[in-house]
Amino acid sequence: MSLLEARSVTRRFGGLTAVNAVDFRVETGEIVGLIGPNGAGKTTFFNLISGFLRPDEGDVLFDGHSILGHKPSDICKRGMTRTFQIVKPFPEMTVTDNVLVGAFNHHGDTGAALAKARSVIELVGLGPQAGKLGRELTVAGRKRVELAKALATEPKLMLLDEVMAGLTPSEVGAMIEVLGRVRDAGVTMVIVEHVMQVIMNLSDRIYVLHHGEAIAEGPPREIVANPRVMEAYLGESFVAEAGAEPAT
Amino acid sequence: MAGLRANWFYLIVLAGLLMLPLFAESDAVAAVMPRGLTGSALLHVFVLIFFFAYMSQAWNIIGGFAGQLSIGHAAFFGIGAYVSTICYIHFGLTPWLGMIVAAAVTGLIGAGLGLVSFHYGLKGPFFALVTVAFAEITRLVLLHWEFVGAANGILLPFSPDPTFWEFQFTTKEPYYYIALAMMLGSIALVGWIARSRFGYYLHAIRQDEDAAEAVGVPTKRCKIQAIALSAALAGLGGTFYAQYTQYIVPDDMVVGRVSVEILLGAVIGGAGTVMGPIVGAFILIPVGEATRVIFEGGGTGTSLSALIASDMGFADKFLAYLDYLAAGGGGGLAIILYGFLLMAVVLGMPGGVLPWLAGLRARAARRTRARS
Repeated sequence: MSLLEARSVTRRFGGLTAVNAVDFRVETGEIVGLIGPNGAGKTTFFNLISGFLRPDEGDVLFDGHSILGHKPSDICKRGMTRTFQIVKPFPEMTVTDNVLVGAFNHHGDTGAALAKARSVIELVGLGPQAGKLGRELTVAGRKRVELAKALATEPKLMLLDEVMAGLTPSEVGAMIEVLGRVRDAGVTMVIVEHVMQVIMNLSDRIYVLHHGEAIAEGPPREIVANPRVMEAYLGESFVAEAGAEPAT
Repeated sequence: MAGLRANWFYLIVLAGLLMLPLFAESDAVAAVMPRGLTGSALLHVFVLIFFFAYMSQAWNIIGGFAGQLSIGHAAFFGIGAYVSTICYIHFGLTPWLGMIVAAAVTGLIGAGLGLVSFHYGLKGPFFALVTVAFAEITRLVLLHWEFVGAANGILLPFSPDPTFWEFQFTTKEPYYYIALAMMLGSIALVGWIARSRFGYYLHAIRQDEDAAEAVGVPTKRCKIQAIALSAALAGLGGTFYAQYTQYIVPDDMVVGRVSVEILLGAVIGGAGTVMGPIVGAFILIPVGEATRVIFEGGGTGTSLSALIASDMGFADKFLAYLDYLAAGGGGGLAIILYGFLLMAVVLGMPGGVLPWLAGLRARAARRTRARS
């Protein structure tokens, strides 16, 4: 049984089909990458599987149960948490309190939740900034808080929506290291990312969305060689030329 | 360190408040208080302060912590007063128990209002409008319902030799201590909430509801619980008010002015903080009462048109106008001063007095650290 399974999920906004009959599976222990050009429907798809949007058609199963119509907080209780592309730290709370709110997901007692929050803050390397307010952080700090909040809920599956966007190359390197530690801690992840270095480094499998459809799926090496993927990213003419060259 | 100093400050104030009734008639008090504000008149002002601090604290749970602006808390307050009073008059139920019935009824009504509003995702100004409408409907119902005295309200039957059980006292002291206890109880309750999961969840909801929902905060349920608790406490306050004034009437209780006075304490002191509503009430009520004491009398019998037409100088005319307002003309000077206070706070310290002080302290601490 897959940890997460989306069956032919479709969502339309008026006349636009943002996500069209996408099948998607995540097995326990995997890191699955989700890529696609701008406007491919990645964030909409995230909203559909995390309960922020309801699919028009199809079903989403988490841990074997349909989660259609469940509230995000409910889905979070069951073990699936997401982060937001446009990060949402609680601006007037310290980093510790931000993470604490997540830690309360499985700990009703403030002391126990605080211990959990502190351990997560260490794990993502936010220790020195623990006392700062959410609004005082740099972009890199905010991304880490976003990750730490999600981790503190003790998810089985974490959906990360562009946690690298806006980071400098060295910050990206540091974040990859953090995600590696998260994987070692036994958390399954789905990563939406534009930074190819990240996707290629971390993913066990990759899905490619284009115009709301899943056009390819497979391990990173296969995906980069897939002509449909190149076509989606670079355009038909480029692929035609590139394809023509070896023949001559 | 700063927190410790604040705690000492609060403890000293508390000790003073506990002993105040013993010295209310003393010369020392008379020396520092304006015009005859001693004895029971002084205690009355403090009862009002405690009472509004308590009501503001009740509002603080939904309006401050959860950030859902209610401009209709006068309704819960009024319903609470009516429920316990009707229980007393018609069923002979002691107001001490009637208080609990009042809290249960207003709590349920609050939950119902929350359920409807939050189920349909009403936020910000839309929720605020619902609370305004709810209060207005409540006022109109009370105003036209013969069973509860309609526009005449209810005069509580006064027993000449009241017992404690009847929640009636011939002196101010018992009311003073009951109001003080209610205020302290509300601080303890909200202080406990602030450190609990519920409190953190409410703060998270106020700052970003989607982000809260994503990390497992059941936002709708928390908001409903917050308004139910807030309404129940406000209902409890209604019972106290009814017993204190012995007379309840819709047009004095379930009006916008009262709703605003309830929320103003928290907004000025610091909404969403534990001590904010208390500090706010200690600023607001004395300002309101002082205007009444300083500008007492004078304006009665004067009409505004006569005042404008009179041939006084501008300064005299202005003073006469203040007297006119203080005597209740045009809504009262206190309300105008509240308005100015609110503007000053919103412009100068948008978080309220307490967060502003905390900010000053943090900046001072940073400066000393930078120097060393």
